Amino acid sequence: MDTAFKIENLKVAYGETVALKNINLELYPKSITALIGPSGCGKSTFLRTLNRMNDLISICSISGEVYYHENNIYDKQCDVIELRKQVGMVFQKPNPFPMSIFDNVAYGPKRQGVKDKETLKQIVEKALKQSALYEEVSDRMDASALSLSGGQQQRLCIARALAMEPEVILMDEPTSALDPIATQKIETLLDDLKKEYTIIIVTHSMHQAARISDYTAFFYMGELIETSDTNTLFSLPKKKQTEDYITGRFG
Amino acid sequence: MHNKRKIQDNLLKSLTIGAALMTASALFIVFYFVFTSGFSLLSFDLLVSDYKTEQYNTTLDDTIETTMFEEPEGNEAFFSQIYGISLKDAENKDAEAIIVIDYIAPESPFNTLKSINENETVNASEGGVITRISFENTSTALTREGAESMINKLDGGHTIREIIFVEPGGGIRGSIIATLYLIGLTLVMALPLGIFSAIYLNEFAKDTRLTRTIRSFIDTLTGIPSIVYGLMAVSVFIPLTARFNMASGLSIYAGAMTMTVILLPVLIRTTEESLASVPNDYREASLALGANDVQTTFKVVLPNAIAGLLTATFLSIGRIIGESAALIFVMGTAVRDSVYPSQGATTLAVHIWTLMSTEPANVELASTIALIILTIVLILNTTVKLLAKKFDKLGNR
Repeated sequence: MDTAFKIENLKVAYGETVALKNINLELYPKSITALIGPSGCGKSTFLRTLNRMNDLISICSISGEVYYHENNIYDKQCDVIELRKQVGMVFQKPNPFPMSIFDNVAYGPKRQGVKDKETLKQIVEKALKQSALYEEVSDRMDASALSLSGGQQQRLCIARALAMEPEVILMDEPTSALDPIATQKIETLLDDLKKEYTIIIVTHSMHQAARISDYTAFFYMGELIETSDTNTLFSLPKKKQTEDYITGRFG
Repeated sequence: MHNKRKIQDNLLKSLTIGAALMTASALFIVFYFVFTSGFSLLSFDLLVSDYKTEQYNTTLDDTIETTMFEEPEGNEAFFSQIYGISLKDAENKDAEAIIVIDYIAPESPFNTLKSINENETVNASEGGVITRISFENTSTALTREGAESMINKLDGGHTIREIIFVEPGGGIRGSIIATLYLIGLTLVMALPLGIFSAIYLNEFAKDTRLTRTIRSFIDTLTGIPSIVYGLMAVSVFIPLTARFNMASGLSIYAGAMTMTVILLPVLIRTTEESLASVPNDYREASLALGANDVQTTFKVVLPNAIAGLLTATFLSIGRIIGESAALIFVMGTAVRDSVYPSQGATTLAVHIWTLMSTEPANVELASTIALIILTIVLILNTTVKLLAKKFDKLGNR
């Protein structure tokens, strides 16, 4: 099968502390892959290696290969900006910029040099419609993004990522700061988005992983324990640790 | 045992209260002293008038026809109906008797006196002093005879030959202008330098030995007394300004350069703090959207640090107004009425120094200036507090 990401022998360390080791994994396009595991297992670190956000941490060292399509993104020739344009990210805590709703969504395209107001307006509207937020904010695009509720803010952040027309969207526990209703809205949204986008989501909730994902990868103590399609992993786990985790014996 | 503990506790507690009270009373004493000795001189005239006393030997402009003037209502001074002027007896700062103009009618010929030596018009204004009026019939009206006698002689119908009119000095207009020049020139240099250095150190610089050294240099510079900067400025900035033909010695230019160096460490530190307080979430969000680090810094980080930058600016202005030691070296202590950036001048703080170092010291005017400085600093600090509040609102979203 065609892969979006192919990870080989990945090892990530923060100084002396090894956060991830021996990771070999393939991530498939136009599907949702959930990364699960207990706190500190390295699943967020793994997510952040996929768009090189770990570059921001100076003590972080990475070895192994991460192929995005055919290109190793840790090659010297790799253009990080170009990579991040194609691999968007949504964070745990909704983090809209303290500017208007419109400016938040238009931020990415503007930085790439899109100046024409009509074009920007179309991009913003499309992204907001895709993230199912348009109806709620169409009459107050100039209002501050901080005036939105937490769930709306998170959907705005998704719209902001969609405005870049990426291929992949990385999500780092996007619903952990939200109430159940807002969470449900986002889960429905993800189900729609996977028709066009590759979604990789870190989640604390096994139920969420079981509900929304097509593939699941279980991380434990910096290692990838098991990965398969979600149904198999949850019904017939091959490894003891996976079974213990999904049956709630630890974690 | 229990009792001993209780006494100890109370002793410590009262020590803290005592210390706090002493601090508060020290502040109160300063305010009280400055207010009581300086308030009486405080007036708008003081702010806009010259420091030097000017004496004019003048005569009437005889092209103007004289009419009879109405005495203004509620006039308590002595009024001349022919010339439309009222005079009263007063004392100057050295307790000598003087005759002061209390009121001048708009049409009065005293409004357009002609200077005898130079061909210019002198406006005798309210608050001005008349020391002598000589008449064609050789009689004179002198200060020591009092205001009433002078008015009687004026209304005696003799032609006036000469009026000696004195514009009393003691104003601080020059020092205010010099202070404004210094603030403007210093900020023009210090703000870009300080802010851009802080941005480099906080946003772009990698944590290397070099940047660590720069940081510790900046921290050390903060603690150096300003008079040391003044010494450095005398041997660096004064020759430098002379070399580029900006000035030929003491100058406000050199003063502004000195203040820039004094301000930079504090400015960089405060700016860095305000940049550091911008949540990292914003930087990550921007970078994840494919913006580069320069775009992230100038489009996301800087706009969110703007309140902190304003705070730093206001604190800098306060520092410029308050500085004296270093400026004595590079701008001199001569109070000037016409101020040019290429020449020396006194700021308000140095003006106090000048007033107190003359014999006898002019404590009253010095206190008035101190009062003005205190007020400005108070206003600046309040503004900073308000800005900080606004800043908090943004930070704790």
